[in-house]
Amino acid sequence: MKKTPTAILFALAITPWCWNIPIEAAPVKPAIYSVNYPLAYFAERIGGDSIKVVFPEIEGDPAFWDPDREAVMAFQQADLILLNGANYAKWIHKVSLPYSKLVDTSTAFKNRLLTRNNIPSHQHGPQGDHTHEGIAFTVWIDPQLAILQAEAITKALQGLLPDQKERFGDNFIRLKSELNLLDQELENLFSKNPDLHLIVSHPVYEYLAKRYNLNFKSVMWEPHQPITESQWNDLLPLVENSSTSVMMWEDEPLPESVGRLNEIHMKSITFSPCGNRPKQGDFMEVMHRNLSTLSTLYD
Amino acid sequence: MAWRYILFNKGKTTILIACLMVVMTLPMALHLIVTCSKEQLTSRANETPLVIGSKGSALDVVMNTLYFTRKTPNLTSMGEVFAINQTNLAYAIPIYNRFHAAGYPIIGTSLDYFSFRALKLDEGSQFTFLGECVIGCKVAKSLGLKVGDHLISSPENMFDLSGTYPLRLQIVGILQPAHSPDDQGIFVDVKTSWVIGGLGHGHKDLAKSSDSSVLLSKNENTITANAKLLEYNEITKDNIDSFHFHGDNQDFPLTSIIAVPHDLKSKSILRGRYQESEQSQQAIIPIQVVDELIEAVFSIKSVLDIVLLIVGAAMLLAMTLIMVLSLRMRQREMETIAKLGCKQMKVVEMMTAEIALIIFFSLLLSSGIVLLIYTNQENLIQRLII
Repeated sequence: MKKTPTAILFALAITPWCWNIPIEAAPVKPAIYSVNYPLAYFAERIGGDSIKVVFPEIEGDPAFWDPDREAVMAFQQADLILLNGANYAKWIHKVSLPYSKLVDTSTAFKNRLLTRNNIPSHQHGPQGDHTHEGIAFTVWIDPQLAILQAEAITKALQGLLPDQKERFGDNFIRLKSELNLLDQELENLFSKNPDLHLIVSHPVYEYLAKRYNLNFKSVMWEPHQPITESQWNDLLPLVENSSTSVMMWEDEPLPESVGRLNEIHMKSITFSPCGNRPKQGDFMEVMHRNLSTLSTLYD
Repeated sequence: MAWRYILFNKGKTTILIACLMVVMTLPMALHLIVTCSKEQLTSRANETPLVIGSKGSALDVVMNTLYFTRKTPNLTSMGEVFAINQTNLAYAIPIYNRFHAAGYPIIGTSLDYFSFRALKLDEGSQFTFLGECVIGCKVAKSLGLKVGDHLISSPENMFDLSGTYPLRLQIVGILQPAHSPDDQGIFVDVKTSWVIGGLGHGHKDLAKSSDSSVLLSKNENTITANAKLLEYNEITKDNIDSFHFHGDNQDFPLTSIIAVPHDLKSKSILRGRYQESEQSQQAIIPIQVVDELIEAVFSIKSVLDIVLLIVGAAMLLAMTLIMVLSLRMRQREMETIAKLGCKQMKVVEMMTAEIALIIFFSLLLSSGIVLLIYTNQENLIQRLII
């Protein structure tokens, strides 16, 4: 008697084969590969469950990733490869990728790209020496540029899956309105004190500064490394004649770094560009966290 | 008797067989080569919807792109590839066919080329990093190469001392036979072909170099090295990070671009864009150019057919004359045969057998030559027509 339910289940399971009923295989979703997290996030938001977004596990900054052969071969199989443009991810210049699959998301604002000069090379994490000199590439921290990147992704996805055109369009409009709202909130916040003197720990905030007319100077400090004497000496001339200086970090700084900055009346805030996948939350959550951290400056 | 006669008169028989063989072979061989070349040329041209190149000889652009001929057409640029891709009318495949290795063309392209031509790998993998190449089956066979071996690019000009350094290419894949010019190609990423062309290179980091003799000048912003600075002639895992390009890759050269439109309408629109007079580029439909070439080949063939007809007729007349004269010379021989008791008919039979044997051997040799041409048609067409 106990065997009856098993027998029924077995009979049900084999019914399609017995009656030769065709079983539809799950459609293979197009694989969309991305060189950084923000683009992967935009693609996930726009494409939803119609696509499979792949952003590899990268330790450190994806801009300076050094992929191995297997990783490059995986990118070669992609249906679309989302590039940030602005000379981001220099590894793409040393590998072979199919040009027909590449989507440069910053083509629409090529004439608005900014350049960085006289930036010394430095090392952090496992990726070895690198420099931030050349074209500034953290374009997505300006929400208006992020919208243009998301628009480029939408067009590429609509080209790939024309039957989903409307759905992708609707998803993009929702994302756009969220980014517009973020832009508005950042603008309101920064306009409260246009004379705010910012020191940034890494040269990655050019587009934020340009968008909101921020007054900022850059040093080359790592949030997870203690401040060296030479770094400290580089900072002092920058804050000499400023009464309200703030150090903006790209990640949570060491408590001793915060303490040392407090000694010269400098506040520390974290504004993550979110180039890599965050440990908690998603891109919009990180941006709102940045916003709330920034708002403490104006309380 | 006929066989004995043929064996005895070796000289005369050989000349007759040779003459008859030429008369039979020439029209057949010519017809075979022209027909096969037409098939080969048109099939590849038909498979290639549009070729974009700099204005100039359309034939040079098409032949360089489709059949990897050595003549380099006027150069176009990589910017054109990006421009075509942005139109959403077609996808563009860059082609930079300018350099050679061991006598075979090095074709700088992108991975899209392999899917477009439906080329499959026999062994190994696709090129992944700079400095890697995938070779056609004939290259592998004739040079005895396998995956993991190396090929060295030839300098463009032996006498140009300031020219490009030869680059050692690592073979990572061998293609399955495609029975097309792809079998004789060495395929690299277009960026690798720019390195071969000297637009990109790798060397020691000058900022960290302790050898002051390689430096011409050094200040905060720029370091200028002299010719002593050695560039790497092979791209390896250890030095790949030092490889860099000078300039904007939009301006980097290509010999042509294969544009693959999404549909017929897109093809027409794209072509229309290139027909504006101020355009420095041209959109070519390869089959039109190849048809013109075939037309030229066929017009030469019809002239050759007439010449062959006249020569053939003259040769047959000469052969008839030889036979008639030979019969007269053999008059006494015939009379002796008759006196021995042979009937007149037997003599005719013997003569016919002699002629039949000569025709048979001519036909046999002619068929052999035609078969040889047929089996080597690809190479012959490459050499004679392309």
